[in-house]
Formats: sequence, structure tokens, C-alpha cells
Amino acid sequence: MTLPMGNIISARFGKDDSCALKGYRADGGYDAYLAAIHGKKGTPDDITAMVKASGLKGRGGAGFSTGMKWSFVPKNTGKPVYLCVNGDESEPGTFKDRQILELDPHQLLEGVGITCYAIGAHTAYVYLRCEFRDGIRKTEAAIKEAYAAGLFGKDIDGSGFDLDVHVHIGGGAYICGEETSLLNSIEGVRPYPRNKPPFPAVEGLWSCPTIINNVETIANIPHIVKHGAEWHAKLGHPDDPGSRLWCVSGHVNTPGVFEIETGYSLQELIDGPCGGIRNGKRLKAIIPGGSSSKVLTANEVEKTTMDTPGIRAMGSSLGSAGIIVLDEDTCMVQANLNLMRFYAHESCGQCTPCREGTPWVVKILERVASGHGRKADLELLLDIAHNMEGRTVCALADGACWPLTSIIKKFRHEYEAKIQQGPEADAGTTAGASAPVGAA
Amino acid sequence: MITLTINGETTEVEDGKTILQACLERGVDVPYYCYHEDIGIDGNCRMCLVEVNGNTDKLTISCKQPCGEGMDIQTESPEVKKARKGVLEFYLINHPLDCTICDEAGQCPLQDYAYRHGPGDSRFVEEKRHADKRVEFSDKVLFDAERCILCTRCTRFFENVRDSRPIGVCEMGGKSTITLGPNGKIEDPYQLNIVDICPVGALTSRAQRFMQRVWFMDFAETVCPGCSKGCNIQAGAYQGQLKRFEPRRNADVNKSWMCDDGRLSFDTYNLDDRVRGFRALGADATIEQAVAAVRKAVGDGAGVAVLASTKNTCEELFAIRTWAQGKGVTTLWHGASTWAGDDFLKQDDATPNTAGAVALGFVPVPADATAPRGLIVAGDVDIPEHLLDGLDFLVVQAPQVGMLAEGATVLLPGRTAMEKRGTWINHQGIRQEVRPALDPGAGVPADWALWRDLADAGWPSFAHLRAATDEALAGVVPSGGAPAGDVVETSA
Repeated sequence: MTLPMGNIISARFGKDDSCALKGYRADGGYDAYLAAIHGKKGTPDDITAMVKASGLKGRGGAGFSTGMKWSFVPKNTGKPVYLCVNGDESEPGTFKDRQILELDPHQLLEGVGITCYAIGAHTAYVYLRCEFRDGIRKTEAAIKEAYAAGLFGKDIDGSGFDLDVHVHIGGGAYICGEETSLLNSIEGVRPYPRNKPPFPAVEGLWSCPTIINNVETIANIPHIVKHGAEWHAKLGHPDDPGSRLWCVSGHVNTPGVFEIETGYSLQELIDGPCGGIRNGKRLKAIIPGGSSSKVLTANEVEKTTMDTPGIRAMGSSLGSAGIIVLDEDTCMVQANLNLMRFYAHESCGQCTPCREGTPWVVKILERVASGHGRKADLELLLDIAHNMEGRTVCALADGACWPLTSIIKKFRHEYEAKIQQGPEADAGTTAGASAPVGAA
Repeated sequence: MITLTINGETTEVEDGKTILQACLERGVDVPYYCYHEDIGIDGNCRMCLVEVNGNTDKLTISCKQPCGEGMDIQTESPEVKKARKGVLEFYLINHPLDCTICDEAGQCPLQDYAYRHGPGDSRFVEEKRHADKRVEFSDKVLFDAERCILCTRCTRFFENVRDSRPIGVCEMGGKSTITLGPNGKIEDPYQLNIVDICPVGALTSRAQRFMQRVWFMDFAETVCPGCSKGCNIQAGAYQGQLKRFEPRRNADVNKSWMCDDGRLSFDTYNLDDRVRGFRALGADATIEQAVAAVRKAVGDGAGVAVLASTKNTCEELFAIRTWAQGKGVTTLWHGASTWAGDDFLKQDDATPNTAGAVALGFVPVPADATAPRGLIVAGDVDIPEHLLDGLDFLVVQAPQVGMLAEGATVLLPGRTAMEKRGTWINHQGIRQEVRPALDPGAGVPADWALWRDLADAGWPSFAHLRAATDEALAGVVPSGGAPAGDVVETSA
């Protein structure tokens, strides 16, 4: 069976000059936005209700209902409301927001405009990681075009609606993709995650009500407003509807970003659009939701569907839909070590368990990988993970623990073999040592 | 009020309290590092985790969580105990464990919690992380990055209390450390407070580093004599020498803080040239001879003035006043010295009890005052020189031998502010208990007892004098506004 390739978010990706306002307008772009701000799509609350009814879930990782999140903005606080668009895409294995920024930024900006109208915001910050030079340049150019065309600014198109959109460029820390760290980063203080509650919808940027949505989430908004909630709710899996950008990296023949509705088979994604495992090898494992999710074995992949309920049923999470494919030659000790180095490097250092735990895990895994492991190390690693998970302000430590523990539990024999073989085992395994994580 | 249960016991908690506050108020031992009553809540140390309503997947940081109606809080459940052990293990794996040479040892929450809640042994077999052991944060404070547990109390002290950011956190994850800001070394005149609030030995005071083990010291809960703020302190002494002043918390006076000048003044009370015993007319004397000499010189009191130091306690000043009234001496002056105060704690008046002296009827020396016939100087005080011109006699009570003491007709021994008993009234009008931190040894009787003997007053003990002083102060409202009669007693 051939997977039906989606054609919603990525519809304009291949077009000539897809970043230009002229082309975007010609394709019906900003029509939904202009209709919304002129009240033709109902009140702001109606639009929030529409997004809620569409079943759209956040594409950043947590998968929370977007419309529900918007509805948490308190009314009449006398404070400004802010929209922050999270484009600090740094989750290993995830590179979908980058495509939107580089190939169709106006789609994002139209979504920003509609979202701001719905939540009552007049200022939006598009937070982009500094490494996205091309995306930053194109997004900034698109914003400039939108201002020049009277789509942003004061009294837009005579509707009385004001909106300012700013790009804020991050300094390169993974933690800034955590929504409250992102707020601290915009505020100019050290980007430690904040304790919740208060949730940002109530007390966010500069202690004002703030909605933080992922780039891909916002890019969906114009389509939902254009076609209606029911249209979206019928796309893909009924409990997790919509069309998603799936990022596939690793040992496949044709890695890339594929837009597919939810609900299809994960195995078919690998075998179909991704062209199967490279060099004719067999699949060993997949990390399905960006690196911060539990690993799936080849057997589990066969039974997994690409939607929140389907992946949850296999004990993992869909996260940011960054799918990391590992073939049979991959050393799962080295792969785990590679991942844990990332978390140890990117731990912000605020909470003790994460600050101290992630480097400790790396030291142990380095020992195990080099053949100097002890039998007690595996239980120690699992117990360290237990002491980190759920004990910190944000989910970074959880995100480290999920791959760590699941890889150890599902591939324990590889660890035991390393420990048993001793230091000599290290020689000659470098070929399998380069796990393809951190591709983003 | 909120009704909830802590470890199965139902209790009522005031609205707005956090779980940690509720536990601490009830004597329930919940360990914590980053929270500080006068700096605020941060929630980074993860030490104060408790179990709320049976949720063991996600324990709650009690410092941040407000109490809620009907909450079931467990501070000793298996999951909480495991989490605490886990967090302490995380703290200890890279901590140098150099307690044997660490100044914090003996008053170290990391040490205390490791004993009370820690795992006891270590599963860490790797090389510990190494970092700078001696960073000069200023000419007063040194930083040991290996000992630091990154609770950020120090950076938040400056941010939240001093509205400045001389230090901050740099780097990420396990490499995180506290560092000086771009403006160079810390210059804040309250910076030594970060040494107190540091829960480990990462921040040390250069004046006290490697000087004195805390467990050998005797501590007196008293008041800083440095200015009219009257910051509550504990004064630590070892073998008759003061070794340190540390602030004690008093929400109404100094919160948890004191200025560096006051703190570092401890050594000025370790005196060498003590006045011991009595001297009259240039020769050693007994107390009886000295008392007789004073009595003879004063006569009917005409033309005699008293100049009392405002480091004297209210009780001592009351005894002096009683003596003066008995001798017909009606001129009661107080002498206060000054220094440059600031807008936080430090006051311009560099003595602790001017308000007490005023409340008891002492007045500043008038600008146009002429030299009296005789002058009685009680305690350590700056004397305007023109008052000394043409004196018939000079009686000096002083702790230390100096030029004035040499020229005195009668020389009486006196005690320093750290050896006195009684109360001081601060600039806010708050009357606070003063306790001796040092015993001056032979030949220096208590000031209050000396003036009692001079006055032939019938107070058999200090308590009697105290009661009489309370009566004299009853109804008197000193400049600060609070009723002077009530002694405000505080504890750390």
C-alpha cells in the first residue's frame, strides 16, 4: 500500500519562490486571516472553539489540545496577552519547523495573525534558534512584506485590529525550547524553566497571559479556519486528527520530512517514502518522537500506528514526530551514550537531579561502552533514572530517562555482552558506534 | 484557615502558607536548600519533595506548593525517603567531601541532611568533577566552586534583597557555576550575608576562614552594638576571644541580615589594655576607696554633669540616673558617636541605645555647654574637648586604658558592649535583650552592679534593677514609636 502523502502544510513547499507574499496571496493566503479579523469567522472565542473542535494537538512534543490551551487565557485582566511561537526546534531527530520557516513562512505568519486575534494578543514573538539562519532571514523578510502590505501593524485592513510581530533569536540552548525557558530567554534572563503553576496562559511573558505554540501547530491554524473544524477533525486518526510533518532520520535510504495524515503504519513509512533500511540491512529500533521518547523495537514498530494513541499503546510517545531509525548494526550502548551526552550537555543545570544525574549517566555509559562496566551498573543506571524522572522543574530529565531506561530494558543483552567481554570488546566496534542521533 | 493532614495528623494552616512553611512551623523535618525565608522561593534544589494526595509519580516541591484544603501530605513515605536519598546522592557525588578542612562543617545543612536523610554510602565510582577552589569574589569573600551546590541563594540575595547582580550563574548543566559579573569584584557592603546563607562551605569569609571550628565556640544571642539599628546577632567566642558575629533573624529589625561593618567589628571587642580594679588620685584603690573618693568629689552635686555612653543598656543608664539623682546631679548627657549610614540597615548613629538614653531623660551635650565643675564619664564615649577645660575632677568608667583614663581623678573599670547585660532600644523604638558574649574576668564588675554600689541602691540582683527600669520606661514612647517598656525577644 502506498501512503497518501499529505498536501496541507507542505502544499507549497516545492513551489518557486514559495516564501514570497505575492505567491502566497495568489494561493489564497491571508484570506482566512483577513476574514477572521473582520469578524467573518465569528468572535475570537468562536475561533478558539473552532480550533478546539478541530481536535488539533500541539506539534511541539507535549501534544496538548491547542484550542483548550487558548481557552485558558483569562479575560479582562487589564494586562496585555502575548503569543510566543516556539521555533527553537532542537529536539534531536526533529527538523520540520525548519521546513516551514524556510519554505513557507507566510503560512506561519497567517497562523500567527489568526491566533493573536483569537487569544486577544496584539504582540507576537517568533522565537527562532540562531542556527536557523536561512529560516530567520526568510521569516524576517516575510514579516517585513506583511507589514508593507498592511497585514500587520495598526488598524489592519480597517478592521481596528492591531498586531506587531517580532522575531526573537535564541542563543543556541536546547532548554530554550522548553516553553517557560523560552519566556525567560525573551525577557533577557537566564533561561531556566519556571515552576508551574502558574501556567504561562495565566502568567507568562513579563507575568502577562501568554500562549506558546509550536511553529507547525500555528501553521495548521489558517487551514482549520479556512476549511472548518469538521474538515480537520476528519483527517487521519479520529482521536488525534490532522496531517503531520514526520521527520525521519537515520539508517533509511531516503531520510526527510514527509507530510502524512495521522493513523497510518509506522512500518509503511519506513518501507515506503523512506525507501527502507539502507544497505539492505534490517531494522533494529526506532525512537519515534524526537530523542526524548522511549525506543521501539523492530517487532513493536510493525504494530505501531503513527498517531498519539497508537504510539502510546506501545508505551512510547509521539512527541515532535522526529523518527530516528536504527539498523541492526547499531550498538545500542553507543547510541544511548550519544543521546545521554546530548542531555548532559543541554541540561540547564537548574535542578539538582538533572544537573548531577545526566553527567553521571554519561560517565557510567562511557565506562560500559569502553568495556569497563560492572554488573551493578545497569541497575544503577535504572535507579539514577528513577531518581531523576519526575523530580525536576521541566521535562528535560524525563526526556533523558525515557530513551535511557527503555534502551537498557529492551537491549539489555547488548550491555551485558559489553560488560562481560571487557575492554577488548571496544576494539573494532567503531563502525556501529555512530548512532545517527542529533541529526537536527 | 485550611485544614489538611501532615503525616496523618490533621492540622489547621493559615491561608497562603506553603507546605514547607506549614511543616517547619510544626517541627516536621523537611530538608531544603534553595528556599530562604528572606530571599524567597526558587524550587531548584529538589530537596523538599513531599508526597501530596498519594501521588508518587510526581512528588511535590513543598517550598513552592501552597497548602490546599484537605491535602494529605506525607513527608516520610517510602517514595519521599527514596527521593531525598536520591537528591542527596546527586549532591554528594561531585561534592569534595572535604569537611575536615571546611569552615562550614558543624553548621552545614549538606552534612546534617546527609546524616539524617542521606544514603550513607556512595555508588559513585567515577572521577569527581573538578573546579576552581579559590575564586576571589571580593576582598571579603572567597568562592570554592567544587563545594557549591548551586542553590543560587547568593545570587538571589543580591537580586531580591540588594537589587543588584554582581554574581550570577554561568555555563550549563554539570558545568554550571557561580561567577562574577562584568563589573568585577563584589563591592556590596552587605556581601558577607551570602556566606551565612550559603548552605555549604562554598562561600567563606576571608576574615574567618580557617580561624575557628564552630563546635568549640560559645554563642550568645545578643544585639550588634555597631549602630542604632540593633541587628540581632549571635556572637561566637572561643577562650575569651570573640571570633564572629552572625545575624539572627528578626523580621521587624534586620530580617536575616547585618552589614559587613557591624559583622567585622567583632575583633574590636577583644581588648588588650583592660582597666582592671580601681584607681583613685593616681593610686590603686579598693572599691570602697573609689566610692568614697567619688562621693567626696561630687559633694552636693552642684556643677557636676554625667556623660553616659549610649552603648550602656537601659538598665545601666537607669542605675546611673538613680545614682545621679541620689547625689543631686541633675545634668544627664548622653554621647553618641556617628558614622555614615545607608538606606538599608546601617544607621548614622553608631551606638545602639540612644533611644534608650533619651527615654530615660539623658540629653545630648548642648552646643553651648560650658565645662562643669566635675564630669562623670560612664562608658566608652567621645568627649567634647572643651568640657575638659578647668574641671575640678573627672571620674571615668572605661573598659580600656587610654589618655583620658590616665588623667582621671577616679578611674572605674567598665565593660564593653559585648560584656553587658540589659536592653537596648533601637532607632525604631524596639527594646531588645542584650546578653554578654564575653566575661572580662577579674577586676571588672558588671556595670550595673558598680553603679548600684555607687548609688547605695537596694537591687539585690539584676532582675530587681530590670523591674525598676521597666517601671521607669513604662508609658515612655521613644522616638521610634514602639512602647519602650516591652522587650521584644526574638529567636533565630
